Formats: sequence, structure tokens, C-alpha cells
Amino acid sequence: MSTLIERHIVSLLAEKDDKAISLLYENYGDTLYGVAYKVVKDEDLAQDVLQESFIKIWKKADSYDASKAKLFTWLFRITRNTAIDKLRSLSNKADKEVQIDVSNVYKVGVEGISPEHLDIQENLDKLEEKYRVVLEALFFEGMTQQEASEELDIPLGTIKSRLKIGLRELGKIYGTTMALLLLLNLLP
Amino acid sequence: MKEKVKIFLESDLLEKYLLDDTTKEEAQQVERYIAMYPEVRENYDMLQKNLETFARMYAKTTPEGLKEIIMNSAKKERMVSKRVFRYAIAASVAIMVFAGSSFFFWSQNKSLQEENTLVTNKIKYLEDNMKDQLADMRNQFIVLNNPATKKLEVKGKREGKELKAIAYINPVKKLSYINVSNVPELPENKCFQMWAEVNGELVNLGVIKQFDEKDKLLALPYADNAVGYITIEPEGGNTAPSVDNIVADIKF
Repeated sequence: MSTLIERHIVSLLAEKDDKAISLLYENYGDTLYGVAYKVVKDEDLAQDVLQESFIKIWKKADSYDASKAKLFTWLFRITRNTAIDKLRSLSNKADKEVQIDVSNVYKVGVEGISPEHLDIQENLDKLEEKYRVVLEALFFEGMTQQEASEELDIPLGTIKSRLKIGLRELGKIYGTTMALLLLLNLLP
Repeated sequence: MKEKVKIFLESDLLEKYLLDDTTKEEAQQVERYIAMYPEVRENYDMLQKNLETFARMYAKTTPEGLKEIIMNSAKKERMVSKRVFRYAIAASVAIMVFAGSSFFFWSQNKSLQEENTLVTNKIKYLEDNMKDQLADMRNQFIVLNNPATKKLEVKGKREGKELKAIAYINPVKKLSYINVSNVPELPENKCFQMWAEVNGELVNLGVIKQFDEKDKLLALPYADNAVGYITIEPEGGNTAPSVDNIVADIKF
């Protein structure tokens, strides 16, 4: 997305113009839905998360500070945190209602990845597994680095370095793909 | 590159900040570094870019109809916000009116309470005064009507030659009164003052005023073999009698 559109959306958000939501949805909807789905692993839940996230974005529009974060970073944080909160509240609920079979609630797998993203999936595979696992744990599972270290049985120092290197590797691998992706997302 | 910038970049603070996983203090530190060091800003921008890239890898087509649901929710939210804003204004006005009227009633209540205290004190004072006067009247009645009462005529001497007074002494009831019927003119800076010697001590009975007390009986402290004196003192009275200026004495 060009900075111009980003600025346009930000100014519309500040003016509380409905068009902001429409533009946000068109430009970031699929990505944020994907983030929500990746966290909650359930389509219905992911839709709820996306809806709640957009309401939060709408309500918090005044607090967005472009000098602190890019628009996408801000949107990502809100969506990711909403999804993690949703998962935790459901998990707490499930803990209380032991009769419910939680395995029905969380669908496991990556069947949600749409065909048009298969190329991207391939690209994703280019990112070494060891980095991808760490990035996913930290980005989508809502784990702290300490929790990821315990969960993945990897020393904390390694988690830190894999996060750092993984993020840098992404830049190298997807540097050129970004432009293509943006074009895909902008297509009607 | 500065050593501390290097250390900062080697730490995971920037990555944590990217994911909004920092504490408030950590976030402040990161924001300070981003603002101060271009290489930190550059790294942060790169991380943001890579985050977006990474997230877009997981993009998933949103189901049909979800956009409309979200748009409607946002519209509803805006209407609720407007309504809440209107209610907030109404509530603020109501609170201000309430606060204003509360203050008004409070201050009114306070002034009424003060007035009430004042009136109560006045009534108490009048009541005490009336009791004293009544007791005085009763004593005067007793003194004047009791057969045991002795009547002593007091005559002045020297500058107080014209002074005329009658003392009433009742040794049974142990009461004594004096009526000063004539007070001679004195220079403006002088006055008559009465004293009583009771048990060896001189008690100040006050200044005799020129006109007001001609028909009044003034109580004297009673003691067996007491002596009363009238002296000429500087205007306003004296704290101790001037022995040289005794113009009359009353022996009980």
C-alpha cells in the first residue's frame, strides 16, 4: 500500500468517516482476518475477532500516533491482542465447563489458507522452519519469549536470536514478493 | 555506531515493542531510542515492514457479508458514542445544577445555623440576665421590707459634700444595698467609685454614673463589720482606691 492511501485512511479515521472502515477492510481485511484465524484457528471465532478488532480500531482512531507505528503495525497489534484475549477468555470458560469438548472449538490445520495464497505459502516454506516456528509462536500464539522457550524447548537466548534473524530473513525472502502481494490485495 | 545503540539493538526490546509486548517503561525507552538514533528508527521501520510481510503471508479471504456486518457495527458504535456524548453533556449539566443548588442550600443552611446559634445565645443571655435581675429584685424587696434592715444615711465630705446616699443593711439575711440619690458635679476627668472592704480586702464595686442610677439600689457585698468607701478617681475608675480621695465611708 502506498503511503498516500495510508495517510488518507488515517485522516478519514481521525474524522470518524465511515469510508475509513471500508478502505481498511479492503486493504487490510484479508491479512487481519488471516492473523485472527492463525491465532484462534476457527473461522467463526476469527470473524468475531475481526469484527471486534475493527470496532476497537474505530473507537481508538483518535489514539493512533503515526510517529510511533505504521498503520499496519497498529492494526496488527489490535487484531492480534483481540484474538489472543478471545482465545484466553474461551480457554477460561472451557476450564470452567469441563463437559464441553474443546477439540470441536479449535479446528487444527492450515486449510484456511486460500488458493491465491499458495504461492505465498511456498515462499513461507522458504523461511527456515526453525525461524518460522519461533515467529509463529511469538506472533500468533501470544507467547512471551520465555513461554516460547519453554513450549518449544529452546533456550531463551536462541529464541531471541531466531526472532531477530527470522525477521531479517523475511526481509530478504519477501522483499520482492511484497510488491506482488500488495497488487493482489488491491485487486477487486 | 554508539556502543549503547549497539547493545540496544542486540537486545530484543525493539522486537517486543513491535508486538506491543513491552512494559510501559520499556516502551518509553524504545520510543526515546527511536527518536534519538536514526539507526534504531531504520531497524524499527524494517521490522515493521517485515512484520507486515510476514502477516500478509497468512492472509485469508474474508467471508462474504462480513464487511457489511462490520460497517453496520461501526455505524451503530458511532451512534452510541454520539448518544453517550449527549447523555454525558446532559449529565454534566445536571451535575452542575445539582452542585450549584447543593451549594446554595448548604450556604443557606449554614447561615441559618449561625443565626440560630446567635438567637439561642441571646435568649440564654436574656434568661440569665432576667434571673439575675429577678434575684436582685427579690433581695431588694427583702432588704426594704425586712424589719431587721438598718438604714444608714451616707453623707459626703470635701469635694463630695453634695453626695447623698442611703445604705440598707440586713445582718440577718446578710444583704446590703445602697442608693446614691445625689452625685455632685465633678471635673470631666474624674468620677466617683465605690469600694467595700470585705475580710481585709478591698473590692471594686464600680463607678457611680452621674444620672442613670439615682433611683437604683446597688448591691453591696455583705460581710460583718465591713466598711464601704466612695472615692474620687480618674475617669473610668481605678484598680485600687486612692485613700486620700475618700469622700464618704459606710460602716455596716
